[in-house]
Amino acid sequence: MAKIEKEKVIISYSGSVFKRLFGYIKPYLGKFMLSIVMILLVTAFELIKPMLIARAIDTYIEGYDQTYGIVTEAEADLSYKGLFLSKNLKEKEVSGYCQIVIYHDSYYYFEKLDIQQAKLLVEINDAGIEKVASEADSTIVISDENGNLLQGQLLLKEDLKVLRSYDFKGILMIGLIYLLVVALNALFDSANSYNLLITGQNIIYDMRNELFEHVHGLSLRFFDTHAVGQIDTRITNDVEALNRMFSHILVNLIRNMVMISGYAVVMLVLNSRLAIITFIYLPLIFFLTNLFRKISRNVYRIVRTKIALLNAFLSEHISGMKLIQIFTREKEKFVQFAGKSDDLYNTRIKELFVHAVFRPFISFIASIALIATVYRGSHYILSGTLTVGVLYIFITYIRHFFWPIQEMAEQFSTLQNAFASAEKIFTLLDEENPIKEIDNPVKPLEIKGKIEFRNVWFAYENENWVLQDVSFVIEPGQRVAFVGATGAGKSSILNLIGRYYDIQKGDIFIDDINIKEMSLTQIRKAIGLVQQDVFIFTGDVKSNIRLLNENISLEQIKEAAKAVNARQFIETLPNTYDEMLTERGTNLSFGQRQLLSFARTLVIDPTILVMDEATANIDTETEQLIQQALKILMKDRTTIMVAHRLSTIQNADNIIVLDHGQIVESGTHQQLLMENGIYKKLYDLQKYDEE
Amino acid sequence: MKDQKKSRLFYHIYKNRFLYLTGLIALFIVDYLDLYIPLYVGEITDGLTSHTISMTAIDKKILLMIMLSLVIMVFRFFWHYFIFGTGQKILNNLRKDIFEKLETLSQSYFNKNKTGDIMTRFTNDLDAIEGAIGWVVIMSFDAVVLTLMCIYKMITHVNLSLTLFTLIPMGLVGVYSIVLARKFDEKFLVKQKAFGQLNDAVQESVTAVRVIKAFVQEENQLEHFKKVNDHNRKANADISILRAVYWPIMETFIGLSYVVAIVLGGYYCLIGVITLGRFVTFSSYISTLFWPMIIVGDVVTTLSEANASRKRIDEIFETEIEIRNSENPVDVRELKGEIIFDNVDFRYEDDLPLALEDINVTVSQGEMLAILGRTGCGKTTMVNLITRVYDVTAGSIYIDGNNIKDIPLDVLRSNIGYVPQDNFLFSETIKENIAFGRIDATEQEIYEAGRMADIHDNIMNFPNGYETLIGERGSTLSGGQKQRTAIARAIIKDSPILIMDDSLSAVDTDTEDNIINNLKRIRKGKTTIMIAHRVSTVQSADHILVLEEGKVAEYGTYQQLIDKKGLFAQMVEKQQLEKQLSTIEQGGN
Repeated sequence: MAKIEKEKVIISYSGSVFKRLFGYIKPYLGKFMLSIVMILLVTAFELIKPMLIARAIDTYIEGYDQTYGIVTEAEADLSYKGLFLSKNLKEKEVSGYCQIVIYHDSYYYFEKLDIQQAKLLVEINDAGIEKVASEADSTIVISDENGNLLQGQLLLKEDLKVLRSYDFKGILMIGLIYLLVVALNALFDSANSYNLLITGQNIIYDMRNELFEHVHGLSLRFFDTHAVGQIDTRITNDVEALNRMFSHILVNLIRNMVMISGYAVVMLVLNSRLAIITFIYLPLIFFLTNLFRKISRNVYRIVRTKIALLNAFLSEHISGMKLIQIFTREKEKFVQFAGKSDDLYNTRIKELFVHAVFRPFISFIASIALIATVYRGSHYILSGTLTVGVLYIFITYIRHFFWPIQEMAEQFSTLQNAFASAEKIFTLLDEENPIKEIDNPVKPLEIKGKIEFRNVWFAYENENWVLQDVSFVIEPGQRVAFVGATGAGKSSILNLIGRYYDIQKGDIFIDDINIKEMSLTQIRKAIGLVQQDVFIFTGDVKSNIRLLNENISLEQIKEAAKAVNARQFIETLPNTYDEMLTERGTNLSFGQRQLLSFARTLVIDPTILVMDEATANIDTETEQLIQQALKILMKDRTTIMVAHRLSTIQNADNIIVLDHGQIVESGTHQQLLMENGIYKKLYDLQKYDEE
Repeated sequence: MKDQKKSRLFYHIYKNRFLYLTGLIALFIVDYLDLYIPLYVGEITDGLTSHTISMTAIDKKILLMIMLSLVIMVFRFFWHYFIFGTGQKILNNLRKDIFEKLETLSQSYFNKNKTGDIMTRFTNDLDAIEGAIGWVVIMSFDAVVLTLMCIYKMITHVNLSLTLFTLIPMGLVGVYSIVLARKFDEKFLVKQKAFGQLNDAVQESVTAVRVIKAFVQEENQLEHFKKVNDHNRKANADISILRAVYWPIMETFIGLSYVVAIVLGGYYCLIGVITLGRFVTFSSYISTLFWPMIIVGDVVTTLSEANASRKRIDEIFETEIEIRNSENPVDVRELKGEIIFDNVDFRYEDDLPLALEDINVTVSQGEMLAILGRTGCGKTTMVNLITRVYDVTAGSIYIDGNNIKDIPLDVLRSNIGYVPQDNFLFSETIKENIAFGRIDATEQEIYEAGRMADIHDNIMNFPNGYETLIGERGSTLSGGQKQRTAIARAIIKDSPILIMDDSLSAVDTDTEDNIINNLKRIRKGKTTIMIAHRVSTVQSADHILVLEEGKVAEYGTYQQLIDKKGLFAQMVEKQQLEKQLSTIEQGGN
């Protein structure tokens, strides 16, 4: 039989993976679009948050700068020291002005000013007070252009509470808006994540079903050349890798791109000169992150190799510990192990070094970008081209700016892995079944059970003939046994009858119809197969007899079990027909498993019974039961069997002896004994075992 | 606490405490300096607001910040290097300690613990510990130090009541993070289980593909698979909800802190309690503070997982060494080779039946004894008792008149050559494998051993000769070649006692004859015990012992046993017939 192929490292699939992946997204396109919209909203909220704080700073915290007008009581926003004041002076009659001035981190209040004086004080506020005319405990005096001295009164907490109640209302408003933004942000963010995670799950659910169905449609030849673990990995882990792509990476990649451009646009709009200073560092960060990723990936690969080496050494030496001890080589082997362990340690230190250098360096660059912005920003503020609030926005944005860039580098590499998995999956999906059914198969109403091989040549691989020019006819109801050494081709004949493989030369007929012209389902449904190793499915006894076929009633199951003598042992099980069985660690003996498989076969009532070493490995206790059961099972059926134990086939109507793929002897038991050939020798040899 | 003192992990951590301390000091410096950048930014903002700062003053502060960033970068490197590096060092030492301990454990330990399970100690458990002694150290240190320093700065530099109010949502984040980490763990287990079931379903159906095809069950299988697949999808969907709300809720808490900062901080600004610059500084401290709170949940789970792993590893160290030297060993260096089994009983476990019962056999020095019997009759067990792979349950074994328990273990074993049944070879070169029998063997001696085991010519035909690397468990060699290499490995030891456990099963009869003839020559005067199946192998033995269900069934010379017409005589007859049949089949070709 063909060797198990090693996991293909080079991927043979060359089609456009992306296009095909998109095919899976298509049914969920609406949901994806919804998510993208939500992400745009979330990004917008992220951008708004610092702006709100900036507004609080510029308009309200810095709002002391705005001049108060003295108005009538009806139009006033607040009253302070007997004056009715308002900041909103549109269409109001103003009888005078009041102004707050900041001096050495303290606020001073100038009242009853004319418009010129108020303007002067605002200018002073903007430029900073260089000198005051005089300064006392709680007053400052400033002289105006005309030499009039204006006296400012130091404002205490209580005064400010009243005077700035207007600004506080604004701040409260911003606080509320901020809260609303945070809430909406959270809401959309959750909804988006949930939507994507569920969609990802749905996509891979579909994909797994498709893969599973596809795999079960493949011929046995495929399973001969592919390890179970390999197929399993495709359906489970590789698909899981795609899940991550669908539910996280794709959209987060978009999110990060939107985020970066969003930040960039806002920064450019707010202050293009300052924005450009920040952007200078972008390519550097991106380049460094990528470089770091590449280097650390390479080092990590070496680390993985060393770990694999160490683990291989360990598992080998733990299994071989007995030998090490008997040969008293504990010291030498310890030195060897320590060498390998140190080797891993040194590589890990190298890996760590890469991280220890790069990570702080990237942080340093980000820090420098921040400092540069503050530096330029301060100069702009001093020269009056920037407000403190905008600088605040910049500072906040820079903190958030570099993170998506580093994340994106990670996301790209995850995307690559996902694509690699996708390629493997598509390679499996492109696997074709060499056994093709014709479009309009002949469908006889019933199969009587005549089987004919006419000059059949068969090989699993190339020209390594397993069967050479084999011909025989089995009439309906006949019992035929195949005998021969291991590798003589007995089991292959059984495989060919159910068309698990196609032959290279010759023809096989069932009821005189070429099996290539029949439907596979009809052929296989007509054949009951009993094998040496009985596969026990995870599930209870009854489900192991009916095999997921819900049309078979419990009555039928019990009847079949009784007929093949399986009832006795089943009824001794604690839960009888509901007893749970598992493939490994099963509590059944070989004989009991075999009886179970007889019941499994009898219940589907096949026309043709095929038994591959069905009576090997059976304890003497069960032997009797099996023999009786076999009689029931074989009744009125064409029976084809392969057996090592010649005692089981003595009553066959015809015994065919195979040697190296050719028929060398055939006849009844008695005839063959007379011939004194291979059969006779085999028979004599086995007598010793039975004594 | 007692349990912690004994723990090997804590011992190593204690041993490396100064390295850790260095790393933590570097981390502390980084944390401390990190606080100053927002502080300076705040001061500049303040200066700009109140117009009390000049260009040169700004430039000075900027320069200071650059210097600070540089220093931070350097110390970041240090803590990375010291903390993670020490973690790796501890792991390396722990790994070596485990291996060293394993080397002292007896075979019954390895019977009870599968290789895969022991491997898990080296892989998963050490990985879990790696997290705990690496990033968890940093995170917990950060969480404590950074939080305290940040809060201190916020209170002294900014404002007490503002800090307290802002801290409320932050504390909630910590609690939320711990609660959610637990929830996640629970759901994750469910998810893992569902994925395991999915995996099982696929594996089962692929393994059973022949049955499925034979019973035309493809459609039913698909239906069944869809159910399992759907269950997996649901388990994932369940965790998706948690995943979907996790971050947004976290961010809402952070947002709440900001709202407090805006409203209350803004108010304080308005009434002159704090300056605008301090308000700006304060808001950047908030984001610094959240990091440790977010991570605290992960820290808690990682620590509890690592602790479970530590316990599992410590179990290995606490395992008692069963086979050890006696307290008063006899002073022998060399053995002669007379072996006596005196009323030996043996059972593998207390609750198992006797594997060997009442064995009384004497093998004189220089004798060749062959042991035969069906599979499971106790042949291998018997020779395992001689090398003290197991100790007898009752009775005694004597070599040269000394109870083997009193012979120093290394003396006993270095005087016995052994060929195991499974022909276990290491994945090294053939030369190294043979020299495993005697480390100081010369090239000539290795070749000679190869010749005696009748494999020298085969090896020389390999492109790399004796330097041929053996794939794991000898996959590049045929069964017979592996077997002969294992024989060469035992022969080179030239020990007074040689034990061969069914070591000629995979070689053809001619090779077998050669090897036996060689053995007879080089083993003259030395004891050889040989487990065999083939009659031809045992013909030249001095005595033959037939075991049946753990008891001595027949014992005597070849002729004596043939005459006895018992079990042995039957085996001889059967094998002769088989030989005949194979000649016919070969003739038929």
